[in-house]
Amino acid sequence: MKTIAISGKGGTGKSTLATLIIRWLRDKGLGSILAVDADSNVNLNELLGVKLKETIGSIREEMKTMSSNLPAGMNKAQFLEYKIQASLVETPDFDLIAMGRPEGPGCYCYANNLLREILKCLSQNYEYVVIDNEAGMEHLSRRTVQKIDYLLIVSDPCPRGIQTSGKISRLLKELDTRVDEKLLIINRLKDSLPPSILKTIQEENLTLLGTIPEDEMLLETDQKGLPIWPVLRSTKSYMALDTLMRKLSL
Amino acid sequence: MSKLIATRAIRGAYKLVERAERELKKAIEEKGPETKVEFPNTGYYLPISYGILGLKVQKLKDLLLLLEEAKKLLPPLPNEKLWLPYLGHTLDAGMATLFADEIIEAIKYTQDPLPYLPESSPRDGFLWLGAASDVIMRERGIEFVDGTAPGFAACVGYCPTNEIAVKIARELQEKNLYVFMSAATEGKSMAKQLEEEGIQMGWETRLVPFGDDVTATVHSLGFATRVALSFGGAQPGDYQRILRYNKNRVFAFVLAFGPVDDEKHAQAAGAINYGFPTIADTDIDKILPTGICTYEHVVSPVPHEKIVSKAIEVRGLKITITKVPVPVSYGPAFQGERIRKEDMYVELAGTSKPGFEFLTSKNMDEVEDGKIEVIGPEIDEVEEGAQLPLAIWVEVAGREMQPDFEPILERHIHDFINCANGVFHMGQRDINWIRVSKEAKQKGFKFKHFGTIIHAKLHGEFGKIVDKVQVKIYTREEEILKLIGTVRKVYHFRDERLADLTDEAVEIFYSCTLCQSFAPNHVCIITPERSGLCGAYNWLDGKAAYQINPAGPNQPVKKGRVIDPLRGQWEEINKFVYNYSHKTLERFNAYSIIEYPMTSCGCFECISCILPSTNGIMTVYRDYAGMTPSGMKFSTLAGNIGGGVQTPGFLGHSKHYIGSNKFIRAEGGAKRIVWMNRALKEELEPVLRRIGEKEGINGFFEMIADETVAITEEEVLDYITKKNHPALSLPPMF
Repeated sequence: MKTIAISGKGGTGKSTLATLIIRWLRDKGLGSILAVDADSNVNLNELLGVKLKETIGSIREEMKTMSSNLPAGMNKAQFLEYKIQASLVETPDFDLIAMGRPEGPGCYCYANNLLREILKCLSQNYEYVVIDNEAGMEHLSRRTVQKIDYLLIVSDPCPRGIQTSGKISRLLKELDTRVDEKLLIINRLKDSLPPSILKTIQEENLTLLGTIPEDEMLLETDQKGLPIWPVLRSTKSYMALDTLMRKLSL
Repeated sequence: MSKLIATRAIRGAYKLVERAERELKKAIEEKGPETKVEFPNTGYYLPISYGILGLKVQKLKDLLLLLEEAKKLLPPLPNEKLWLPYLGHTLDAGMATLFADEIIEAIKYTQDPLPYLPESSPRDGFLWLGAASDVIMRERGIEFVDGTAPGFAACVGYCPTNEIAVKIARELQEKNLYVFMSAATEGKSMAKQLEEEGIQMGWETRLVPFGDDVTATVHSLGFATRVALSFGGAQPGDYQRILRYNKNRVFAFVLAFGPVDDEKHAQAAGAINYGFPTIADTDIDKILPTGICTYEHVVSPVPHEKIVSKAIEVRGLKITITKVPVPVSYGPAFQGERIRKEDMYVELAGTSKPGFEFLTSKNMDEVEDGKIEVIGPEIDEVEEGAQLPLAIWVEVAGREMQPDFEPILERHIHDFINCANGVFHMGQRDINWIRVSKEAKQKGFKFKHFGTIIHAKLHGEFGKIVDKVQVKIYTREEEILKLIGTVRKVYHFRDERLADLTDEAVEIFYSCTLCQSFAPNHVCIITPERSGLCGAYNWLDGKAAYQINPAGPNQPVKKGRVIDPLRGQWEEINKFVYNYSHKTLERFNAYSIIEYPMTSCGCFECISCILPSTNGIMTVYRDYAGMTPSGMKFSTLAGNIGGGVQTPGFLGHSKHYIGSNKFIRAEGGAKRIVWMNRALKEELEPVLRRIGEKEGINGFFEMIADETVAITEEEVLDYITKKNHPALSLPPMF
């Protein structure tokens, strides 16, 4: 199993990139894919053009509030596992699970501990796990993800964006999740990379995997609120991503 | 005892000790004697030298000491005149080999890049995992101790074909054994063969590729040594105890495939020290009984189709494992596999179709053992992708069978079915969900095999209480809907009984140490009548969690001798708490708020504390942010009593515990409650009214003050005096 996680500042196109990567993995026919939407403003499913059933967050809340009213004879571990397995959105191309909102107040040690075990077990059934994270990487810090082969940090082509990416990269060191390789991707690049950006990348101690050009066609589709999944293969971004992905050993 | 085999083992030991010396010299020259050497993430240094000699190897120069020990053990090579060399010499040579192995493997860990992966399963086509970390050892080692996994097979060399390699690996997996693989011959190894066949390896699947070098075999015995040190309580250096523990408790053996050279003979001699015999597929001579292993020491040649059962017999493994006669592989290694929609042939019950699983007992003459009926379409009568309803109706009979065992046996249906390769099972009772993969269908798996599995496993695991088993599998909605009402009534009846479960009725409680990351000295003891203080965990949850993860934070704890029945104190529970609180708590009372109360982590749902002038207690729920009559808000109270410290007069507990018959029984129970925050009081109204009725106190619910009538202790006292609250007439609390 290989895990690819995508992170970056809000609005840099993380979910779009995740969608592109899933499309690419699928086209290469490399094996089964589990897509994980770990952003609390769940939207990956819209880009992928599928409907969500439940999120892990809502299942966890349900379990918390029903405490003593579980289906007769079922204990919480079984209930949680059943609900999570049933919440998976299944398509011929990929399966999708959404983490949903992080928790509210109260004690979640028990629920999170169970959750970790269940997700670990579930993800082992796939050749690829693609995680669309939020910038704070909440789920990584809670160790709901065990190990990451590639962390792709997405940034706008501006120095501030690169600095934020540097922060995200450093933040990882404090987390328990193992990350094998951290790579920077610059998204929505209009022309070529200005030297000032290259300098910032160096200062922030980041490794640039490559760039993805601004893509009017994708933007338009997205703005119309249409899923980008069906049109991906004919986009500029997809071509650019292809070059990038070939650099990884997947 | 053959001279040939002893000679080869001793010769192999010499070769390995020489190699260790050469490599150590080179490493010290290149990196310096002070270079750190260690196996990753372990507190046991190099486990064999630490266990056997008590030697703490930390630097390259320390390995020189180990080398000396290895040399000291090397016996003279048997000469032409000595016809019957003693086994003792061979054993010494074996131990010298293990020391040499550890030196060579330790040096590998000083290399950059590391020749081993740090994770628990191979990736990117790189196979070798090397020494296991302590995390893996604790996770997996406990399985050896509690019997979930009886032991391991250390496999060296390679099988004649990949097919044979896969077959042997599957056979070992089915018997719950771990498969440790090392020592390639001419670059060929069993692990490579499995990889070529696309078999998933790693600690999770119990197929563990240690390394291709012959010296990597030492990680098997290093693992065994650490199990003895950590679970067997053996002290470092107490080699007798370590070796004896392994002989008696860890059912391991060596399987040697293909040509066996001197070095491999030497490894076999090392394993014999631990009581682990070697079984080979080629003719390498034998060492028959002489007293170290339980039976024979080296047996060869054994044909491949018999090698696993021969090994089990020679090692004296007594467990009887029922072979489940289904056309797919079967074993715990296949639990947790999800059948993805793409790979699925048929889906049964789940969210779209009705279904249930039900087990009931019958008279002996009403059950025909092994009878399995499928009522409705069989798998080959439905199209790919079909969704069907499913009811599994099991009838058992047995002289020792009791209705109370029905739900226990019924719950096992989940594990039983899940162990079949290509079958996914979720839930239980009338929330069940099964998928069968295309591959399983293609191999000939049928719906009737659910029955076959249940029949075989009930006999295998519950043979003491079950004599006869028959199963009906319904796949037609009409019949299922007719039956579902009846079974729901039975489920309900069983739950009612479960509610009657008392602390006295069970022999085992469960511990919970989930919160030790926050409160290192806190241990929860969960009893049927006192759930975990976070409210998330009751006794059955603890039991289930232990079944899911036997090495996890919930462990069964025997009650032992009753020290104080009123306050709830037991000998074995005290011992357990003492050990797991890192020797900070010597005793505790499960049912008292005053004397040695149970500690809290910080996760409690409610806090109760005494209000001295009222002769009663107040109870506040964690959502309540206002002031309480104790003069402290919930957060302040929590700060005072969390962290695993006993604070007489203060107690963290679950909401559920308030309704328990054991709620602060030592002090008179729930009738001591004089104040509650309103939301909690309202939520528990039915419970409090029931308590009132039981205690014969008219209007008990109305006697309890809340923040709308009292927020200081004086106000509470005024209120309850007016209401004539029963606490006032109880004996003083302390």
